[in-house]
Amino acid sequence: MLRAFALALAIVPAAAHADVLQAGPSGGRLEFVALQAGAKFTGEFRRFHAELDLDPRRPDEGRLDVTVEVASLDTRDPERDEILRGPDFFQTDEHPQAVFHAGRFERAGEGWRAPGELSIRGITQPVPVTFTLVAGAGQSIMKGSARLSRLAFGIGRGEWASTEWVGDEVDVRFELRLQPAG
Amino acid sequence: MAQFLHWAVVVLLAIQIPLGKIAHELPVGLERLAMMSRHKSVGITILALALLRLAWRWFERPPAPPPMPRWQAIASRLNHGALYLLLFALPLSGWLMSSAAARPVSWFGLVQLPDFVAPDPGLKEVFEEVHEVLVNVLLALVILHVAAALKHQFIDRDGLLFRMLPGRRT
Repeated sequence: MLRAFALALAIVPAAAHADVLQAGPSGGRLEFVALQAGAKFTGEFRRFHAELDLDPRRPDEGRLDVTVEVASLDTRDPERDEILRGPDFFQTDEHPQAVFHAGRFERAGEGWRAPGELSIRGITQPVPVTFTLVAGAGQSIMKGSARLSRLAFGIGRGEWASTEWVGDEVDVRFELRLQPAG
Repeated sequence: MAQFLHWAVVVLLAIQIPLGKIAHELPVGLERLAMMSRHKSVGITILALALLRLAWRWFERPPAPPPMPRWQAIASRLNHGALYLLLFALPLSGWLMSSAAARPVSWFGLVQLPDFVAPDPGLKEVFEEVHEVLVNVLLALVILHVAAALKHQFIDRDGLLFRMLPGRRT
């Protein structure tokens, strides 16, 4: 933080931190895959914001912050979307946002691992996110995934707490086009 | 084999049609999801048996029907053809409906079937309508089929019914 502050003062006084990359909803896809009655279906969150500050030389000092507007979920099935937004699942009227934060990175093969925490529906759980980052002209492509248990976040209550018809495991995957934060 | 496949499909249809109607009437929830996915699994089973049965006809041609008036022979051929067609068209329209509704089909949780159409609410409505019309056509043709079989048994007394008994060699 002190480093970032000093850097900001020294080089770009107007910007909080010069290295931050970000992506909004038009900058990629944030999807989830779950099992319903033995069949995989895919949904996506249409509104989210991601910020990445990763200096490969100092992975301990970076951060990844993702905020998701949960009600923007879309599984191409209006009936299912309504149930998912409702009180038995995300209860988006009371918990409109899901938030991920990681404060450091580790090398993982060709890419990175962000051991962070995910908060959904007021419950925070450790969730490691793995990703690759490929820098290109003007933008970087960040592609990765995470696996989580919906029940660990209290997603699926009452009859939906059973995993007989709706699987507990949910795969999250994303592909973001990150651009320097203004 | 042909007899076994015939009666297996009869038993499955006797489960399948009420299952579909009950699932359709249920309010949105876990029970509906469970019933509907069983309905899909049974439907795919019927589709597989219908395919098997059609393939079997190539190996073991059905025996010639007993003598009957020409119009009855034609009606019989038409009705059998339509019944076969429906045994394919009903599961397929249900399968397509599921894909269009973004609710892919799994066979008893063991195998996930591919989606031949992308999710599309308008297309889902079309396949749903087709599925409902076809099941009513099937019920009407089954009644005709049973009535004709009973006529052969009790009015013509030509013993036609016996050759459909399970385990009986043709």
